Amino acid sequence: MVCPFLGRMLTMKIGIIILQILFIHIFLFFGAVIKQLLQIPIPASMIGLLLLLAALMLKIVKLEWLERGANWLLSELLLFFIPSAVGIVNYDEILSWQGAEAVLLIGISTFIVMGTTAFVSEKLDHKERRGAR
Amino acid sequence: MKLILFTLITIFIYMLAKRAYKKWPFPFLHPLLISPLAIILLITAANVPAAEYLEGSKWISHLLGPATVAFAIPIYKHMHLLKKYLRNIILSITTGTLVAIFSSFALSLFMHLSPDLIVSILPRSITTPIAIEVSKEIGGLPALTTVFVIFTGVIGGIIGPSAIKWLSITSPVARGLALGMGAHGVGTNKAREYGEQEATFSTLAMILAAWITMFWGNSLIPLMTRIIPQM
Repeated sequence: MVCPFLGRMLTMKIGIIILQILFIHIFLFFGAVIKQLLQIPIPASMIGLLLLLAALMLKIVKLEWLERGANWLLSELLLFFIPSAVGIVNYDEILSWQGAEAVLLIGISTFIVMGTTAFVSEKLDHKERRGAR
Repeated sequence: MKLILFTLITIFIYMLAKRAYKKWPFPFLHPLLISPLAIILLITAANVPAAEYLEGSKWISHLLGPATVAFAIPIYKHMHLLKKYLRNIILSITTGTLVAIFSSFALSLFMHLSPDLIVSILPRSITTPIAIEVSKEIGGLPALTTVFVIFTGVIGGIIGPSAIKWLSITSPVARGLALGMGAHGVGTNKAREYGEQEATFSTLAMILAAWITMFWGNSLIPLMTRIIPQM
């Protein structure tokens, strides 16, 4: 008796997540429409993000209508990168010496980026906290 | 049929890789390295052309779109933090995007990378869907940019915590911004290990970095790429 019940609960949970992801697509769609109409070089998904944010702030859309679907998308974000990473096999350049150099470059550059970002932010944060006191 | 098959295989491998990474959290076992590698081996062994796999797994990559839209939710929930730290966030991320673009540019000129690689590597510090758009805009190769974005994420996820430790960064805002700026989604994943505040700032950093880089992509980068020596 317990198993079918649990199964139904699980199906319902997955169903809700799928429905909410479909709902999120509405904003993606409107983002694409706006991009098409205005011919702006901004991805449809970014416009969709702003539309959704505006809809949430104006209370047109309630958080619980899409929170579970959104949380699933955000927590499994890594999965969606995998196919494009497989696309690497189309580029011999990456497997050459240049590829190794590029990896080194990314390591050095990323370290500098993180270092400066953290440094600037930490300094500003300390200054603001001291100012507040 | 192939759509279902490749989708299920990708999800299955991803779940296995995630489990393995939980058990043995070594950087080189990162799911974003192991899963594509396993799939490449698998399709090579099965003699499936990469294009066929990419076509068959398009549902999965499609979800990057709604996932980007979904970032509205953490922003909405943490609007008060965004307002409170607005100046800090904007200044730090503007600096971060400039440093990312200029250091990548200078190093790639220094290393004499091919023009294709140079242009494709410039938007590497931002989240994939936007990096692809910027790459197209500035004349790079989107697939190559994707790979650089992934390398940036994985490498950033590894060196981020050491950079934070080494510079003894203590404030959650600085930690979160550094991880989100330096390693986009993977950094945000890592920021969750520090705490919810760090994860929030990391998310905000990642979105703002994408916006600002998009702006540089339409202004600064075209000026820079003009001086790339043609081969």
